[in-house]
Amino acid sequence: MGLLAILKKMKQKEREVRILMLGLDNAGKTTILKKFNGEDVDTISPTLGFNIKTLEHRGFKLNFWDVGGQKSLRSYWRNYFESTDGLIWVVDSADRLRLQDCRQELASLLVEERLAGATLLVFANKQDLPGALTKDTIREALELDNIKTHHWCIQGCSAITGENLLLGIDWLLDDISSRIFTAD
Amino acid sequence: MSGPKPKASQALPAKDDKKKPGGSVLRRLKSRRNPAGEGGGSVPDHRRRAQLTEQELLTLDSLSPEHVLGLVRVTENYLCKPEDNIYNIDFTRFKIRDLETGMVLFEIAKPSTSDQEEEEEETASGELDTSAGRFVRYQFTPTFLRLRTVGATVEFTVGDRPVPSFRMIERHYFRDHVLKSFDFDFGFCIPNSRNTCEHIYEFPQLSEDLIRQMVENPYETRSDSFYFVDNKLIMHNKADYAYNGGQ
Repeated sequence: MGLLAILKKMKQKEREVRILMLGLDNAGKTTILKKFNGEDVDTISPTLGFNIKTLEHRGFKLNFWDVGGQKSLRSYWRNYFESTDGLIWVVDSADRLRLQDCRQELASLLVEERLAGATLLVFANKQDLPGALTKDTIREALELDNIKTHHWCIQGCSAITGENLLLGIDWLLDDISSRIFTAD
Repeated sequence: MSGPKPKASQALPAKDDKKKPGGSVLRRLKSRRNPAGEGGGSVPDHRRRAQLTEQELLTLDSLSPEHVLGLVRVTENYLCKPEDNIYNIDFTRFKIRDLETGMVLFEIAKPSTSDQEEEEEETASGELDTSAGRFVRYQFTPTFLRLRTVGATVEFTVGDRPVPSFRMIERHYFRDHVLKSFDFDFGFCIPNSRNTCEHIYEFPQLSEDLIRQMVENPYETRSDSFYFVDNKLIMHNKADYAYNGGQ
């Protein structure tokens, strides 16, 4: 049995999943995490570090890591790549001005070796805002169709109403579990 | 982190319930409550090697996670000095919420910086209490021991040095019985950052007899929280708990 197979087996036993949430500042990463966990989302301040949530869901132990997205913090993102099974990239769909920034930051993550094995979920957040771009527009702007290195999916959502959050996360878990836990 | 967190039950590989878009996580947590109770999830307390006693540990220069994982009862002393916290890690908030009702059951936050300065002045004026800021006493009502799904949040700040590898080991005891052992790796912490961590877990169903004993014997439920950077003990906090409030 190879090392990889042994590692997979160990992981299978624990069914522990590490999910890293990244995105530009003000994308709504913390709000998504809090909404998903049934917390009040009225007063959320910028994340100047990380927020971790560990919980059990569908028999998995999920470890969510939400790391602040301000420019000064982005150089620290690399410290959180290790062992990531799922990457959630959160986009403020109403922030048209920074879509190019957003595309570039995502592109630079996808070439990271330590994220090579991660499934990518893109949340086109803030769909409740009148000026929000559709998930298809975001998909084009971020050039998602060019991604060949990762399993990916884009989901329009609203962290405020909770719309589609569970749908996206369940897709992510399905993809991760089919890759890791059922692979022999 | 402190707070009453008796041994959590481990997730059984749950049957895959059908997806219900819009359903809350809590509903799912509820729907697959594990009746088996015991079964790990936390670090096992079986003796793995020759263990050192607390007295022996006190003679060592620095302590590793393996050292404290070998302890079988709550400590009498602090196993490191306040000044060992060279990274200036500071716990600023602690919160417990009940996920069944969404209610915050308990929240304690450190006073603002200006209040803190005053406090430090008082300390400087000659008191030698080495447990200051390292010990917390909690008083809860008996209903606390019957909670189902809770979230326990800590918030901490980090000084101006990056923390390479931050790990927490917390052990809860009732008398000489380990209720729960928590072991969590925060990993890297950004300099000057403010971070939070919430563990959401299912409270185990404690036996009626144990609940009665814990209620009748305030402060015999105790915990040790050990914090390591690069596998070296840098902080040690303690707490004790009463569950006879409101009686």
